[in-house]
Amino acid sequence: MATTTRSATPASRGAGAPPDGRTGALARAGAALSRAVQPRYLPVAGTLLTLVIMLAVGESRYGGERGFVSARLFSNLLLDNSYLLVLAVGMTFVILTGGIDLSVGAVVALVGLVVATLLPLGVPLPVVLVVGVLVGSTSGLLVGTLVHHFSIQPFIASLAAMFLARGLCNVVSVQSLAIKDEGFAALASWSLKLGEGRNMSKINLSMIVAVLVLLAAYAVLHHTRFGRTVYGVGVGDGGNAVQLMGLKGGRTVLWVYVISGTCAGVAGILFALYTKSGFNLTGIGMELDAIAAVVIGGTILTGGGGYVLGTGAGVLVYGLIQVLIAREGLDSWWTRVFIGVVLLAFVVLQRVITLRRR
Amino acid sequence: MSSPTTRPPGRPGTVGRVVHHRLFWPVVALVLLLLACGLRSPGFLTVSVQDGHLFGQLVDILRFSATPMLLGLGMALVIATGGIDLSVGAVMAISLAVSLTYLDASPTAGAVPTVAAAIGVALAVAVVIGTFNGFLVSVLGVQPFIATMILMVAGRGIAMLITQGQITTVTSEPFKFLGSGFVLGLPTPVVVAAVVLVLLVLLVRGSALGMLLESVGINREASRLAGVPSRRITWLVYVVAALLAGVAGIVYGAPTMAADANNIGLMKEMDAILCVVLGGTTLAGGKFYLGGTVVGALILSTIERAVVIFHVPSQITPLFKALVIIAVCVAQSPRLREMIRSGVPGRSGRAAGPPTPAPTPAPAPTVEKVL
Amino acid sequence: MSSTKAATTTPAVEMSGITITFPGVRALDGVDLTLRPGEVHALMGENGAGKSTLIKALTGVHTVDSGRIVVGGEEVRIGGPSDAQAAGIRTVYQEVNLCGNLSVAENVMLGHEPRKGPFIDRRAMRREAARYLARLGVDIDPVSSLSAHSIAVQQLCAIARATVVDPKVLVLDEPTSSLQRAEVEQLFDVVRGLRDSGVAVLFVSHFLDQVYEISDRMTVLRNGRLVGTYLTADLPRLELVSQMIGRSGDELAGLEEGARARARVAHDDDVPLVTAVGLGKDGRIEPFDLEMFPGEVVGLAGLLGSGRTELARLLTGADTPDTGSLSLDGSPVRLTDPLTALRAGIAFASEDRKKEGIIGDLTVRENIALAVQAVRGVWRPVPRRELDELVERYMAALGVHPADPDMLVRNLSGGNQQKVLLARWLATSPRLLVLDEPTRGIDVGAKAEIQKLVADLAADGMAVLFVSSELEEVLRVSQRVEVLRDRVIVEQIVNGPDVTPATVLASIARETPGPSPATPVPTGRARQNHGGTP
Repeated sequence: MATTTRSATPASRGAGAPPDGRTGALARAGAALSRAVQPRYLPVAGTLLTLVIMLAVGESRYGGERGFVSARLFSNLLLDNSYLLVLAVGMTFVILTGGIDLSVGAVVALVGLVVATLLPLGVPLPVVLVVGVLVGSTSGLLVGTLVHHFSIQPFIASLAAMFLARGLCNVVSVQSLAIKDEGFAALASWSLKLGEGRNMSKINLSMIVAVLVLLAAYAVLHHTRFGRTVYGVGVGDGGNAVQLMGLKGGRTVLWVYVISGTCAGVAGILFALYTKSGFNLTGIGMELDAIAAVVIGGTILTGGGGYVLGTGAGVLVYGLIQVLIAREGLDSWWTRVFIGVVLLAFVVLQRVITLRRR
Repeated sequence: MSSPTTRPPGRPGTVGRVVHHRLFWPVVALVLLLLACGLRSPGFLTVSVQDGHLFGQLVDILRFSATPMLLGLGMALVIATGGIDLSVGAVMAISLAVSLTYLDASPTAGAVPTVAAAIGVALAVAVVIGTFNGFLVSVLGVQPFIATMILMVAGRGIAMLITQGQITTVTSEPFKFLGSGFVLGLPTPVVVAAVVLVLLVLLVRGSALGMLLESVGINREASRLAGVPSRRITWLVYVVAALLAGVAGIVYGAPTMAADANNIGLMKEMDAILCVVLGGTTLAGGKFYLGGTVVGALILSTIERAVVIFHVPSQITPLFKALVIIAVCVAQSPRLREMIRSGVPGRSGRAAGPPTPAPTPAPAPTVEKVL
Repeated sequence: MSSTKAATTTPAVEMSGITITFPGVRALDGVDLTLRPGEVHALMGENGAGKSTLIKALTGVHTVDSGRIVVGGEEVRIGGPSDAQAAGIRTVYQEVNLCGNLSVAENVMLGHEPRKGPFIDRRAMRREAARYLARLGVDIDPVSSLSAHSIAVQQLCAIARATVVDPKVLVLDEPTSSLQRAEVEQLFDVVRGLRDSGVAVLFVSHFLDQVYEISDRMTVLRNGRLVGTYLTADLPRLELVSQMIGRSGDELAGLEEGARARARVAHDDDVPLVTAVGLGKDGRIEPFDLEMFPGEVVGLAGLLGSGRTELARLLTGADTPDTGSLSLDGSPVRLTDPLTALRAGIAFASEDRKKEGIIGDLTVRENIALAVQAVRGVWRPVPRRELDELVERYMAALGVHPADPDMLVRNLSGGNQQKVLLARWLATSPRLLVLDEPTRGIDVGAKAEIQKLVADLAADGMAVLFVSSELEEVLRVSQRVEVLRDRVIVEQIVNGPDVTPATVLASIARETPGPSPATPVPTGRARQNHGGTP
């Protein structure tokens, strides 16, 4: 179980007591504790609790002599969900402002196809990767422009962008394109191996990128003016307060969508690395997975409250659901039902907390 | 069957003007689309009569608008309360799965009473789903977007459970009639949609439901304090939306009689929302336009038809849709009207003219854009 | 604070010929306003006179249709609040416009945080924020969430924020409406300090006392036009009021006297219309007893947070009680929601006009019809002719201006919105009307009209519960005053010639045991009420 605590640490640091609150005297610990049970930390506490319960269930059902909870499990979870983590981080920015970005799944598909199309044409790999990310940023810029400059609702603006990206996908190709480029394959297969034999776990490029994105997002959201403005915009009056405070609330909204789009671009490349192909039907419903991960991670859907590190935990919960269902030998549609149930539980939890706060 | 229905009985002339203005762009878009198709394909605008049934491209467009229209009408009411129902596509799948599974299990699948019972069961399930959505939204106060997303995600799984992961196929003439038959020369789905529309207009504008819905959508707490039973109204609206989605599922799936839980109604919730938005109702809630929604549904199916007529590869239909949607949204954006009015260089902070909500001092979401 | 004392000859702000048009309304018509460095300038006018619009033109919320704005000798284009701030214009709005989900320190410093590289230096930010707050005499934990504090403290945070970057012009739009007297004093000390260091302060308030206390000059607007700019010392109050409302002061005084005289009606020992026994709700209001008779006006007096609104909400079904019972005409009723209350003949006008009153995007007609329609039920629409009659009658009776039932309510001025709301409640023919702060933010003329209306309604047999922060007003209309302290009804004062605001004040202030849980007093000083500050 040592691994459990280790990998839960980053999330709990963001969620629970401030780092300086747990040293020293009992009183300070008490203060930290009372701060930790503040309503605003409850959703994240729920996330961690769910994570622990699911790990415990897994351990008790499939533990056996090899053990369920292991470095390998987490390595695999991250391996399979690195693209989702990046998407969910981008989505966290958007949801914090009270918006939504439904275009990300389609952008992932588009980026995969762009990569798969450009590489055989002899375009250098670094250029292809940059173009891939920029495709995402451009889509985000489009959504942001519609939301910010034309006052179109985020839901509908990103829906339009989703259709646009899907349409472009179909124009590029309606067949699955395999990516055979050697450099790309090398990137995809590169990994650091830790441990031996059955306990071996891997760290690959996607995992590193995803974790770096998560850490960068944490730094930006919690320690920069832009990040705090993102929280301010989500306060529930459409950014009016931030605007009247003389901050560039509107510009922040625009940037949030660019960030989400860029994350979708990065996720598209990670997904291409994962599947080594591009396909126009990739990522249908992926935006919902990302939203679910964010909500499970404790970010309040109305905006203004949440922690990007919680989103990391949310992605882990999401991945665990899939692992457990696969281990149970249930049909894949059960995944959907289960995610629905977990989502429902978290949404109701959020409501209860908000109601109690009032 | 378009604009006349938007003029609710007993509303003042100015509101009528607003309605007219709201509908102006959608109707223009529809007419232009139809004309373009007519120019490209000379036979497009002709309607012929065979065996007492109407045939022609226009009739097909009507037929294909039935599903988005049924979904859109329910969605319009939900959106008016400031909500959204993303589960309608999944409800379509569940409703069809239930009715076909019922018929499959019945020895008398071809008998009218059995079909009626199958439909009854399917619609009852739809009502239960709507009740669940409505409960989450109105009693627990969960955000509509997320409350209905839960069923959007899980609903297809439930439909799969009902059909046991199979694509259930049955043969039943009366059931098939609902999708591909004719009543009074018109395709059955069109008649079903028209009847639903009339009933809904009577329900909403013949009673005070329409005004109370709008008041709930604009300011829920103030409405509650004014005695408006906002909880019950919100709840009702989700039930109606799910019921209409159930009808849409049956009408949509009847011609093929195959309950493909993975694909029936996929992305249809998006189409429904688009119908509503194309019809001039804003997603923020408040004022809603049923007639506009009908026009929106017609635009949508005309676009799909136009893609074929212009020999555009069918893969790019979504691209075409997306461009049209973006264009309409931008055209309806108060900001654009304001820019046009004040001459592009002027950065006026206000929108004038009654049709659009003027982003004046009220802390509407638009205010943040007043830069 | 570094002094920015400019040459007093250049005005800090010179607005000339400002015209702004809204749909169907010319909000401002060629208005001039000059602010000099080192003065406190009051902007006066009735509701709808254009004060807010003029302020918002200066602070960048509205852009002007025509006219010039010169700041510090240079003509500027103010396209948004950030432009205004860049020009040195800082604003504190009546409604707190801060982010409740951020900490106090972040709210005070947002946009001006001390930074190390791209990152915020949180420790320095807290220190700085605490310093600015201390200058206002506010001692709260800068790390605490803003939403954890009372509205008054939040307002002080907004003021602290405005002083972070030394402003050239400070706009205070009704900054005192949620402050207690002592806090107002604190604020005025800061304002005087800023003034003496050369800042031009534009001050808007409905409280004439405060305007006369703090301002050097005043500009009066009426119906979107400039009436004139005067030295405060040269303009007697009566003269000011008549300038504002375009009516003579004597006329006004007569109206008020009439209202008070008529309010003295004794009730006999009939069955009370409403009897509350032990009605209470945890954390909101302690169990209380209350009796009200037909034709009686009962005032509720008490400090902000003393449970006035909470009491009103329990009586009207807006909130449901945890304990106690309520009887109507002697038979028990359970008011589970506002609808049941309306059906029982109890109407409640909330203090929050915007959030809990008007339906902005509906027309005046629909807004008036709403409650009547709700009482009848969804399936029984009010016939069109009956509705028109109803709307016409109440719009005329209350003098709603403009008299267009098809106008959207949000395009009306605050006072007229309030009248529409009163029409909505009166249209349900209530037997008990509960008015929570019906005259807040409303000009002198409309205030007097509403007070008179209350007296007339009572004379017709309606019972009215009148909640107000202005003790003079409460005494003017009520026969009886229930005094609240710390969520408890502590005293009942029967109104009479010898009862003065001081009497009620004494009752409110009697042996207040320091800071109470209901009214967190950040600075630790005891609060005292003052006629005019809620």
